[in-house]
Amino acid sequence: MRRGVYAKRIVYSSMVSDFFFPQPGGVESHIYQLSTKLIDRGHKVIIITHAYKGRTGVRYLTNGLKVYHVPFLVIYRETTMPTVFSFFPIFRNIVIREQIQIVHGHQSLSSFCHEAILHARTMGLRTVFTDHSLFGFADAGSILTNKLLKFTLSDVDHVICVSHTCKENTVLRASLDPLMVSVIPNAVVAENFRPLHATPHANDRQSGGTSQLQHTPRPIGPNDIITIVVISRLFYNKGTDLLIASIPRILASHPNVRFIIAGSGPKAIDLEQMLERNVLQDKVEMLGAIRHEEVRDVMVRGHIYLHPSLTEAFGTVIVEAASCGLYVVCTRVGGIPEVLPQHMTTFAKPEEDDIVLATSKAISALRSNKVRTERFHDQVKVMYSWTDVARRTERVYQGISGDISPQEFYGYYPGEIQEAGSDRIRNFSLIDRLKRYYGCGVWAGKLFCLCVVIDFLLYIFLEMLFPRANIDIARSWPKKLNEASSTKTERDRLGSTS
Amino acid sequence: MPVHLISRRPSPTTASFTVSNASRHTSTTAKLFFYFQFLLRLIVFSGIIFLDTAHFRHIFSPRNESFIPWAAIWSSPLGSFICRIADTTNSIVTALASALVIYGVFLKGYTEESLLVIRGLGIQTSTSSPTYLSKAATRFIPTTEIQDIVIHEAFKGFEVRFYLAVVVVGEPEVVVVFPKLLPNRATLEEVWRGSRHCLYDSKP
Repeated sequence: MRRGVYAKRIVYSSMVSDFFFPQPGGVESHIYQLSTKLIDRGHKVIIITHAYKGRTGVRYLTNGLKVYHVPFLVIYRETTMPTVFSFFPIFRNIVIREQIQIVHGHQSLSSFCHEAILHARTMGLRTVFTDHSLFGFADAGSILTNKLLKFTLSDVDHVICVSHTCKENTVLRASLDPLMVSVIPNAVVAENFRPLHATPHANDRQSGGTSQLQHTPRPIGPNDIITIVVISRLFYNKGTDLLIASIPRILASHPNVRFIIAGSGPKAIDLEQMLERNVLQDKVEMLGAIRHEEVRDVMVRGHIYLHPSLTEAFGTVIVEAASCGLYVVCTRVGGIPEVLPQHMTTFAKPEEDDIVLATSKAISALRSNKVRTERFHDQVKVMYSWTDVARRTERVYQGISGDISPQEFYGYYPGEIQEAGSDRIRNFSLIDRLKRYYGCGVWAGKLFCLCVVIDFLLYIFLEMLFPRANIDIARSWPKKLNEASSTKTERDRLGSTS
Repeated sequence: MPVHLISRRPSPTTASFTVSNASRHTSTTAKLFFYFQFLLRLIVFSGIIFLDTAHFRHIFSPRNESFIPWAAIWSSPLGSFICRIADTTNSIVTALASALVIYGVFLKGYTEESLLVIRGLGIQTSTSSPTYLSKAATRFIPTTEIQDIVIHEAFKGFEVRFYLAVVVVGEPEVVVVFPKLLPNRATLEEVWRGSRHCLYDSKP
């Protein structure tokens, strides 16, 4: 096994996405956690994102994770302007100076990610794409996004989806070979999401909230206050409208229920209007935007986590809630049913009546003490870990860079014709790439080919204008001595002293 | 033009690092080229002064008692040729053109930036001016105000470049050393090691 570890090639990979810290969110923390764990496994990872307010340039995070905040025009919800080629010069510079071998893009709405994958293929690098969200097929926006996704993914080496529903969605949207798509779920750092009674020495900042709860789990009496927590960005797709419609009805039928809502967004104003109209200010507490590290402190104040999202590929937040020992009420949409086992959740259809019904069911289940929420944390801890996610991602990296034989990586199917699998290993010759893009559609195919040809010419032009030799290679973050070599030096030291 | 580094250590407590993209005039041809360029600049400069004088020769009335024989000059073949050009062109055009040419004559054509480190006193950064006429821009930072000297990376145009910067106490922005030339990482590391060694007497 040792030898296996040593034979492992170090991968220099770069995560590219529009979405990264300081903005909070699931994709952002996914990228951060995955990168950190990959670095722990001995790889070199950098992150390329656009500049946020007050955060431009090159930054280092914990463990030597380097982040490039590229100054770029942001148009909508922290998404950059989709200008097919303008990112290329700076991207090429970063890739060369960091000696990147694999470019890993995240999130289909990120134009940075799509551009990076296109340019990386032009530069002859392996690419991976991780899809974190689901899209429809019907409305104009989705059709456009799907076409764009098809463009990028027709030449990508591998795709990772966070849930099987997401995989199905992505395969259909981008007409991919399903074997090229892996499912690697998100995870949570379970230590950061402990239930309240498990951490007697944790600093309890919310004294008002904790006074209702004892430090030892106590059965909830029939007249005790049950607190429902909602933590989400207040956007349409997060189901804020459902929340607005169901809160008055839930509170009307259950007098001993309180709500805590954390998060901000364009729907916050509607929510506040609803509270004022129904005079519910004393029962619903609005916390506004909170930092990710405060999420646990808010969650442990409640008993039920309500997640009314309309579309969700994975829903990390419900895993976090379950890890905090909350009973989860969520809509049966997207990948959510795959995430948690039955006994931790109550599902609802994404409609007002059903959410009210499911919440009522959850409240009565808690009141009758049918749910053992104190066991949730340990169960979640076993199910989800970032180390596991990193190990599986590493296997994808090895598979596409040829360290694992294709047969082992993609699996062996006896009935399969040998030729069918040969296209999975995407070679870099321009004519083969053009063939792949040409199949995208009658007009789109030609347009995509044009883009690829221009991209290729731009690459040649950049090679002449900014020669590779003139680009300084950046130093890697100094690595800690790995276990074996440190013990060796230890032995040497002991040998010399004796 | 390639950037080169010249480091000098006149005493153990002083170090000076100069980066420059000027030609070093090592070969004979380079030396010859340098003298030729000097001569050319001299000729062009005197030519333009001559033209300007010809243009304004009616204003300061040519008196025969001055020690330069103006009348003889203007009547000479070269003088009359210059006078013809001066008379045909507009005075504004002449003024603009001569200003441009004079600027061009005094243009250095290279940049030289330096860092001078004196232990116990401080460091001085300097960037040469673009022309021979103005002084170099310098900045002195006393030791007490130096918080740290660091190498970092930043976006510049379509590139990510390394830069050496001095973090000054109480200033929101760092002072970039060699801001125009931005030499490569190897050079910067040498300067960084040298200057830290000189300032703090740490092991290089």
